[in-house]
Amino acid sequence: MPSASPSTSSGRPADLVSRLASPDRGARLRALRELKNQIIGNRTKKLAYLKLGAVPAVAAVLADASDDGGGDGDGSCCCRRHDLLVQSAAALGSFACGVDAGVRAVVDAGALPWLRRLLVSPDEKVVDSGARSLKMIYQSKLAPKYDFLDHQNLEFLLSLLNSKNDNVTGLGASIITHSCQTSAEQWALYEAGVFQKLVDLIGGSVSQRDASLESLTAIIRNNHEVTPKILEFENGRALNLIIKFTIDKSPRTRLLACACLIAVSKTSSRYVEGIELESKLIYRLLELLEDPGQVGDEASFALSSLIEEKEDLQKLAFEANAINKLCFHLQNGLSCPKRLQGILLALANICSKLEICRSKLLDLQAFDLVSDALRHDCTDIRVAACICLRSLSRSVKNLSAGYFMNETVIIPLLQLLHDPSISVQLAALGAISNIVIDFTRRKSNFIHCGGVKLLAELSMAMDPVVRSHSLRALKNLTFLADRKCKEVVLSEITASSLASLIRDPESAVQEQALALVRNLVDGCVQSVDYAFTENGIILDAIGRQLQYASKAEIGIQGMYALSNIASGSKVQKDAVMDQLFQHGGMNTQPFIMRFLHSNDNQLRTASIWVLINLTTSYCPGAAGRVLKLRNAGIILQLKSMTNDPCLDVKVVQKIYHLNVH
Amino acid sequence: MAQGSSKKVITKEDWEKRLNDVKIRKEDMNKLVMNFLVTEGFVDAAEKFRKESGTEPDIDLSTITDRMAVKKAVQCGNVEDAIEKVNDLNPEILDTNPQLFFHLQQQRLIELIRNGKVEEALEFAQEELAPRGEENQSFLEELERTVALLAFEDVSNCPVGDLLDMSQRLKTASEVNAAILTSQSHEKDPKLPSLLKMLVWAQNQLDEKAIYPRIKDLSTAKLEDPSAS
Repeated sequence: MPSASPSTSSGRPADLVSRLASPDRGARLRALRELKNQIIGNRTKKLAYLKLGAVPAVAAVLADASDDGGGDGDGSCCCRRHDLLVQSAAALGSFACGVDAGVRAVVDAGALPWLRRLLVSPDEKVVDSGARSLKMIYQSKLAPKYDFLDHQNLEFLLSLLNSKNDNVTGLGASIITHSCQTSAEQWALYEAGVFQKLVDLIGGSVSQRDASLESLTAIIRNNHEVTPKILEFENGRALNLIIKFTIDKSPRTRLLACACLIAVSKTSSRYVEGIELESKLIYRLLELLEDPGQVGDEASFALSSLIEEKEDLQKLAFEANAINKLCFHLQNGLSCPKRLQGILLALANICSKLEICRSKLLDLQAFDLVSDALRHDCTDIRVAACICLRSLSRSVKNLSAGYFMNETVIIPLLQLLHDPSISVQLAALGAISNIVIDFTRRKSNFIHCGGVKLLAELSMAMDPVVRSHSLRALKNLTFLADRKCKEVVLSEITASSLASLIRDPESAVQEQALALVRNLVDGCVQSVDYAFTENGIILDAIGRQLQYASKAEIGIQGMYALSNIASGSKVQKDAVMDQLFQHGGMNTQPFIMRFLHSNDNQLRTASIWVLINLTTSYCPGAAGRVLKLRNAGIILQLKSMTNDPCLDVKVVQKIYHLNVH
Repeated sequence: MAQGSSKKVITKEDWEKRLNDVKIRKEDMNKLVMNFLVTEGFVDAAEKFRKESGTEPDIDLSTITDRMAVKKAVQCGNVEDAIEKVNDLNPEILDTNPQLFFHLQQQRLIELIRNGKVEEALEFAQEELAPRGEENQSFLEELERTVALLAFEDVSNCPVGDLLDMSQRLKTASEVNAAILTSQSHEKDPKLPSLLKMLVWAQNQLDEKAIYPRIKDLSTAKLEDPSAS
C-alpha cells in the first residue's frame, strides 16, 4: 500500500515543515503555498503533515505576520505580509476541513485569536481567508464553544452577521449552529435581534440561505418561548419563507428547510396543525432520499426525527409508501454506512408503534437485510439494526408465531452481547428482551444458543444499565415459562447472585431482579420452591430490600414476588410472615404497613394480595397468621381501606374479606 | 397538402402576425446574453457588451478572468497549475468537492501517461491516486480504469483509451468551471439553453394539436412553411 509520507518535487515533507520557520519571508511564503497546495483535498497528506507538527509551524507564521507592524518600507514587504496572512490562514483552514485531529491541532496551537484578527483587516482577501478558515473550524464539534451570554461576544457575532461579506456572515451563522445549545443562549440571541438578521439572510445568496436555515434551526430547537415569537414575526413571514424553500431547486436547501420545520413542529405543533405541513414534510423527505449524496444520507435521519414517538405521523408516513421506499434503498446495497444507519433507524421509528408497518416490512422480505446488518463492521449500524429489530419484535402477532425465535436472529444477537461497544450491548439487550417473550414455547432455541448463560454473565456487568437490561431480558424470558426454562435460568444466574442483585446499589437493577423473582415463582406451586434455594437466600434478600425500599416500583415488584411465594405451603407462608416482621427491629413499622399507606395505587394493591394469600382461610396455620397480623394493626388498616379511592384496591380489599370470613 | 387530420392549420402569415404582437423587452434579452457570456467565461466579450449595451453583469467580471484561467489550464493539460489557481481563488472548493479533486488528480495522471513519463506516472498513481480510493470507495471503479492505462503498451488503442481524448480534458474543465461558479453563488448553467429547451418542448406539444410554422434550425430560428413537407 502506498506510504503515507508525501514526497514533493522540492524535497521531503519534514524539510517543507522546517522551511516554514525560515528567517527569509520569501522562503516561508513558498513553503506555505507548497504545503497548502499539497494538503487541500488530500486527507492522507493532512494527517501526515499533522504528525510532522506542521500546524504549530503554520500558526507561528500567521502570528508573526499578524504582529508585524512595520517593515523595510518597500511595497513588496507589505504585499508579502498580506500573502503570508492569506496563505497561512488558508493552510490552517484546510487542516481543519473535515479532519478532527486538524481542528484540535489548530485550536491547541492558539491560532484562533490570530484568525479572528484577520476579520477586521482592511484587505478583503485577508478577511475572506480568515472567515473561511474559522468557518471550517466551527463546522467541527471540537471547536471551542462560543459564549453567547457574554456581551462582547454577542456584539462581535452581530457584527459578523451585519457584514457585507458572504464568508463573514456565513461564519456568524456557523458559530450559532455550532454553539447555540441552551434555552438561555437561544433567548439571548433572540433578544439581540439575531433571528431577524438570519431571516434576512435567508433571502440572500445560496450559501447565506443554507447557513441561515441551519442557524435558525439551532435557535428554535426545543424552545417554547422563542419559537412562537419567531414564527409570529411580521405575520408569519419567516415561516412562509422557510416553507417556500422546501421546494427549492437545491436539494441541500430543501433538506435544511425541512429540518427547520421539523424543529418548529416539535416545539410548537400549533403552527403546523391545519396546514398539513407534517404530511408535506414527509413527502419532501422521502423524495430527498433519492439524492445520491450527503443530502440523501441525512434525509432519513430527518425523517426519524419527525416521526419518532408520533403514531399519527408514522401512519401518514406509512400511507406515503415510506416503508416501500426505505426497503427499496435497503435492498439496493448501500455503500455508505451513514445512509444504511439512517434507513435502519427510520424503519425502526416507523415500525415502533404500528402493527401495519411491521407487517409491511416483513411482507416485503426485508427482514433478512435487517438481521444481516447485525454483523456489519460499523458500530452505529449494528446499534441501528438492533433498534430496528426491537421495533419489529413488538409485533405480538409475529412473536406468537415464533417468527423471531430462530438461529438466524438469535445467534448474531447473542454475539452482540460480547460486543466491545456498550451501546451495541444495550441495543441488543433491548431486542432480546422482546424476542424472548415468545409465546410458542420455543425458548429452548434461545437456551441452546447459550442465551441464558450470556444474559446471566451480563447481569454481573460493571455498567448498571447493562445489569438492569439483562435482568429485564431474563425476566421476560421467564414470563409464563416452563419449569425446564426456569431451572436453567436459576442455575445460570445462581440464587446467591440473584440475592445480591436484589440488594444492588442501583434501584433499576433491584427492580428488575425482584421482577425476575416474581416471574420465577409465578405459575405452578412448585415454582415457589425457587425462592427457597440455598437456604432461602432469595426470600431473605427480598425482605431486607423491602425494608429499605424507597421507590414504589421496588415495593411493587417485591410485594408481587412475596404474594406469589405466599400462595405456597404452610411453611412457605410462615416464611413470608417472618419476612414481614423480622426486619427493621422493634420500633420500626413493618414495611407492609408503610406500603398500605402508600400513595401508589399499585403498591397498595400488591400489598393486599400478599395478605390475601397469607390469610386464605382453608390453609393450615391461617388463624395464627391472622392473629399476628391483627396484633400488628394490619387488619385494622385493611378494614379502613374499604373506601380507598382506587378501584383496584377496593376490589382486592373486598376479595380479602371474602377470603377471610 | 395536409392529410385529412383534424389539426388546426396556421399559415405563416398568420403566425408572423401573432408573433409580432408579443412584446419582448430588450433588457431581458440583454440580460440573457450577458448571462451566457459570463457563465461560459467570455470575459472580453462580456466587458465589451457591458460597455455597448449598458447591461450590468450579475457577477464581478474580474472573477471571470480567474475562472477562465483555471479552465484554460485544464484544457491545455496543465493540471497542477490549474489546481494552484483554484486554491488561490478559493481553497474551500477542492477541500469540499472530493469528486472534483479526484478527477483533477486523475487528469494529472492521464497527462503524465500521455507524455510518456511512465515512472513518474506510476509513482503518482501510488502516492496520490490510490489514497483517494482508500478515502472514498466510490472512486475505486474509476481509479481502476485510469490505472489500467499504465498496463497497456499502445495506450491510444486500449479499452480505456478514451481517457486520453480531448473530451476528457474538456469534461474535467467543465466540472471545475461549474464548481467555481457554485462557490461564487452563481448558477452553473446559463439560462439560454433552458429557454431553447422550453421552445422545443412547446413545439412538440403543439405538434399534436396544430400545423404551424415550426423552427427546425435553432441556430437560425427560421420559420418553416407549414405547407411544405
